[in-house]
This record gives sequence, C-alpha cells and structure tokens, in this order.
Amino acid sequence: MSADTGRTGAADITRREAIRRAALLAGVALSPELVTFVARAQTAPAKSYLTAAQQAIVSAAAERILPRTDTPGAIDAGVPAFIDRFYGEFMSPDDQKLLVAVLQEIEMAAKSAQSGSFASLKPDQQDAALRAVAKGQEGRTPSSFALLRSTTILGYFTSEAVGKNVLHYDPVPGAYDGCVPIDQVGRRNWTT
Amino acid sequence: MFVQGSGTAQQTYDAIVVGSGISGGWAAKELTEKGLRTLVLERGRDVKHPDYPTAMTESWQFAGRSRLSRADASRQEKQNRTGYTTHPASAHWFVDDVENPYSEVKRFDWMRGYHVGGRSLLWGRQSYRWSDLDFEANARDGHGVDWPIRYQEISPWYDYVERFAGISGSRDGLAQLPDGQFLPPMAMNCLEVQVKDRIAKSFGGRAMIIGRAANLTQPHNGRGSCQYRNRCIRGCPYGAYFSSNAATLPAAYATGRLTLRPFSIVTEVIYDPKTRRARGVRIVDAQTNQTTEYFARVIFLCASAIASTFILLNSKSDRFPNGLGNDSGELGHNLMDHHFIVGARGVSDDFGDRFYKGQRPNGIYIPRFRNLDATSKQQDYVRGFGYQGSASRDNWARGIKELSAFGADLKADLIAPGPWRFGIGAWGECLPYHDNRMFLSDKLRDKWGLPTVTFDCDWKTNELNMRKDMKNAAAEMLEAAGLRDVTPFDDGSAPGLCIHEMGTARMGRDAKTSVLNGWNQVHAAANVFVTDGACMASASCVNPSLTYMALTARACDYAVNEVKKRNL
Repeated sequence: MSADTGRTGAADITRREAIRRAALLAGVALSPELVTFVARAQTAPAKSYLTAAQQAIVSAAAERILPRTDTPGAIDAGVPAFIDRFYGEFMSPDDQKLLVAVLQEIEMAAKSAQSGSFASLKPDQQDAALRAVAKGQEGRTPSSFALLRSTTILGYFTSEAVGKNVLHYDPVPGAYDGCVPIDQVGRRNWTT
Repeated sequence: MFVQGSGTAQQTYDAIVVGSGISGGWAAKELTEKGLRTLVLERGRDVKHPDYPTAMTESWQFAGRSRLSRADASRQEKQNRTGYTTHPASAHWFVDDVENPYSEVKRFDWMRGYHVGGRSLLWGRQSYRWSDLDFEANARDGHGVDWPIRYQEISPWYDYVERFAGISGSRDGLAQLPDGQFLPPMAMNCLEVQVKDRIAKSFGGRAMIIGRAANLTQPHNGRGSCQYRNRCIRGCPYGAYFSSNAATLPAAYATGRLTLRPFSIVTEVIYDPKTRRARGVRIVDAQTNQTTEYFARVIFLCASAIASTFILLNSKSDRFPNGLGNDSGELGHNLMDHHFIVGARGVSDDFGDRFYKGQRPNGIYIPRFRNLDATSKQQDYVRGFGYQGSASRDNWARGIKELSAFGADLKADLIAPGPWRFGIGAWGECLPYHDNRMFLSDKLRDKWGLPTVTFDCDWKTNELNMRKDMKNAAAEMLEAAGLRDVTPFDDGSAPGLCIHEMGTARMGRDAKTSVLNGWNQVHAAANVFVTDGACMASASCVNPSLTYMALTARACDYAVNEVKKRNL
C-alpha cells in the first residue's frame, strides 16, 4: 500500500480520533495499527506534480466538463487536486504523457481561436475550445481528451462532496430490497 | 543448516495443520474440537477478526480512488491480472509478486494471499454441493480416474459444514445441484425476476435461482447478518460471510487446544521410512529465516492446491525421490481450474421507475443444463457449465466509456441511475489432463532460497468447444428473456484466473494412478492428509470451496477415529 511517511501532527491525531469515533458508531473495534493505516490513506499530499500553468488548465477544463449547477462542480469536489496527484503517482507513463499533451492541445486551441489563455476565457469560450479539441480527436485511440474527461468523472464521482451529498450515501444499508419505486429512494445512484 | 531443538516437547503436537484458509480453518476447528492439540502453521502474517483495515474506508479516502500507485502496482503485476483483486481496498490481501515469483510455460494466473485466513477472506462465497453427476463423471466418460467417493458419503458432511458456515439459498429440488441446510435466500431484483420467469417459460422450466452464498441472511452462530455493503473482499467486520478468521479459527481457539504460528513457511514433510509415517514438518520462519521442526501424529496439508503440492514435491527422501507420496507420478499433474469470462449481456427498457436498495453481495445462478441426460447430451463436448450473473442499473461509470460529451447535462445524467442491464457469465468444467501440470524449478529461487513453481497448463478441445456453447446459450437465453442489444462475449480466461486451482494430488481408488485415497490420506504415508483443492479428481462446474469444507471435516473425523484406534 502507498505509505506517506510523515510526522504525526495535531491534524493526524484529530483525524485518528475521527476515524475511531466513526468506527465506534459503525460498531467496529479498531486496533491502533488499523487506525494508523486508514489515517495514512487519508493524509493529503503536500506536493504537487503539474506546473501552476498546467493546474490552471486542469481546473478550468474539469469545471467545464462537470460544471457547478444546483449540484457541486468539479472544483467544489476537489477534482483538480485529485487529477494532480493521480497524474503524479497513479497514472501510467503513457497516460502521463497523454495528459500533458491534452493540456497543451487545449491551451493551443484557446489561443488560436480566442487568442487568450484557456484559464482566462469565459465559460462559453472554454466550452468551444474543448469541443474543438474533442472533435479533432474523434476516432483517435488513445484519445487524450477522453483521458482528461474520464479522470475528471472518476475524481468527481468518487469524491467526498459528491459521495456524501449528491449521490445516495448509505454505507451500511442493513437490508436489501430488489425492487423499490425509484421515488422512494431518489433518482440518484448509490455511493459505492 | 541450523535446526532448532528438534524433538523437544515444545515442538510436538497431536496434529499439525498447514495453512489457515478455508480448508485449514476447518481442519483446525475439527481437530481441536475433537480433542487434539493442534498447531496451525501459516506462512503469512496474522489477521484477527475484525481487523480489516479498509472495511470502513470510502472511495475518497483512497488517494488514487480505485487505482494503486505506480510503485505499489509494480509489485503486483501478476496479481493484477484479474482486474479486481488489486484495488486499493483489497490489494493488501494479495501477495507481492516480486517477493513471491513463479514461472509460466504458458500463462497461468496464480492469485493468492499469504496471511491468516488466506483466501477465505477473499473468496466469492458461492457455495454449491456437488452431485453424483460430478462424482461419477470420470467413471462415466473415462477422463481422469474415478472418484473414490459418491454423493451419499459426503452428503452428511455437506449438512454439517453448511449448518456451521451459514449458507443462504433457496431449495430448488434440482438433481444436479442438491439442496442443503440453507438460511433464507437473498432476493432477486425486478429485472432478475422477469428474466427468470421468461427463461423458465422459453426453455421448458430451465432454472434460474438466487446464488447460494456463504453470506448470512440472519444472525448465525454468534456472527452478524449481512449489511448489504458488498464490500466482502475487504473483510467483514460483522462476520457476515464465512471466513476462517470470523468462524472456524475462533471456534478452534475456544477449545484452548489451538496454537497458531504465523510467518511459518512449511518447506517439507519429514518422512520416517521405519514407521512409514511422517514425523512432522520443517519450516523456515519468513521473518528470521530460522529453520525449525515440528512433530505430530497427524499432518493435514491445507495450504491450497498449489502450495500443498509444492510441499509434497519438495519433500524428497530415499523412499520418495520425486516427492512424498508420488509413487504414481501424478503429483503436480491434472491441474484444473474453471474456465470463464464468456457469456452475454443485454439491456432492458422495463422498470425505469424502479430501483434497488442496498448492495447485494450475491447474484443469480443458472445451474447446469447440458449433458444431464440423453436429451441434453452434446455432440462435441462432455461435462457442462453453469452461469452466474445479475441485473443492475448502470451507475456513473457508464460516462467513462463515452468519448466527448461534457457539461451540465452530462453531470445530471450520470448522477441519475442509467438503464437496467442483465449479464451472465459461464463457469465451465475443465477435464483432468495429465499434461496440465505444475512442477518445481531450482533455477528460480525465492528470497528464502526455496525452489519456485512453474505452470504448464492450458485449455484443450473439450473446453474450447464448450466455450462456444457457453457463449451461444447465454445469448439465446437473453434474447428469449426479451432484452435488447444482446451482446455475446468471450474475453478468454487463462487457467488460474478463476482462482479454483484443483487436482494436483488427486484422490483415487488406485495408488498406482492417484496420490490420495478416499479419506484424503496419502496412499503411502497414512498420517498425511491433503484436503484442499489438490485432492480433487475432477472439477465439476460449480464453485469448489464448500466441497473442500465437507471433505476436510470428513477427513478430520476419520483421522481422529484412527488416532483413537491407535492406527495412526
């Protein structure tokens, strides 16, 4: 398992306590080793992997792919930070190259059509640039735009903001009903 | 070699059990409950119920969400071949491939976990009885050797293990899939019920049943009932599915007669030519590299098909130059697994206003319907297959497959449940072939200096012919069930991927052609028993773990009686 070997600070202790309380509520006894393990998995990274300019494009593009409406947008859900770390520690070298390439392509599309940096454009101008990139890649495998898009969707729908508040969050259902009227549970996917 | 204090009282027990997975856990429980002071040797670390580190972890608490970091993934390239085992929620239950290498003449996917509980923590929990269709199969069509037992002999042991383990399921009265001692069945969802009815109508009453699963649908023997989280592979804090950690090992500890030693890699069984019995086993401590011997009157090898066979092959002596109990030359041969990843999927336009509540850790099962009798006999293959499957509504992940759509409409669409989809995949029987084998290699040694396993195994004509029918029959049923966009698939599966390794120390009636007798005893070393997948003389098409449980409990009962009669 990935292990961030950091110092144990006040934030860690608070987090450990929070995990312990959550586990007690769920009726689970946790050993000290287990608490450490889970706390480690939750520790946020201090460093970033993409440059500031790349991060600006990631943020703006992710927010247009899944924009804020009456539900949170990609930025609300922490997707840009997720993509940065996913790029740095989780993506294959091939995908890393693709991600860097799509950010360049988006920036070039913005500059050629709108003569401005992608991150500085208005939302509808950003959408036009993304559409141009997507159209240009139709039929291409692998598609770098598809990678950015799928990573955004993954980061969004597995985030805490969406998992707890947008999808139907029920970590311990306790029972199974195989056929309920959808209005009884809401027209939302379950958080899994 | 330094051998620590051989022969001392501290290293002597009534029984030794090698391995703590499904079979080893049962052996520990049965032998201790019947009065034997028992040492369980487990090569991996200890895992105590309910210390399952990711059991309550949500997706956002994993930095890579569903993916391992590049650094971690590089250590589990073979374990990752399943596509699901090395998710960050479960990767810690699977071995480090760099520390635990093996070789392949042909691709073989060896998925395993080295820790107390073994794969009992990770298994699919589908629990089906074999029938005489299976136990008589070798005798009937001449493949392999005849099983030395029939259903009647194992049936009471199925009753016994089901009552303790807790198997939920329906009683369906099918000759090819005998009913057992079941807890109440789980429910099918809307679409599954519709498909079930339509299959029965279109195919002369062909059965589709809810999976029979070792998941508790009510509290049972001090363990909690299923909470419908579908996170079983992480370990269940409620003890709601059967595992050694939650069920058999606590029972063994309760007797006061269990000693469990983790980090103990059994390297060989020590054979005494004077008594023609095994004296004990030799281990290397996985952490200290120290060698130690342990002694007992009875030894149960329950380390998994491959690992138990490894130990026997590595136990060479003047009497057994090719491995203990290998007079027949069959040890390591007749390697089997189920072949799968073939079936069909389809979409339903019904039930748009319906959903399900809870995540059911179980699916549906379509029991074997081929080669049951003259009317279902197939021309180009023997034996048969069953299907596992389920219906569900697509979740947000359906959005990943699209290539270009983005924006507010996409987001709203992916938040809502998608269309209902139903899919089935077949689990097919593989024949026992002498050519399909594992053997030890001295060239590649592991970090403890031990030889490693090489696999040479593949599917042959009977399996490949069967696969065509597995695919076509699936599509035919889904079409008849009224689904649209029915898509047959055969994505191929290398041996091992189903994680049902069997047959490498098979049971049989004749010591010349088999390794074990009808009581799972090594023919030529009567106090050595092998009760894991290695013992299987054929593979059936149903999941094998329940049969390992029943065979283990039966062999333990026999062994203890033999000890009491002073025959062992």
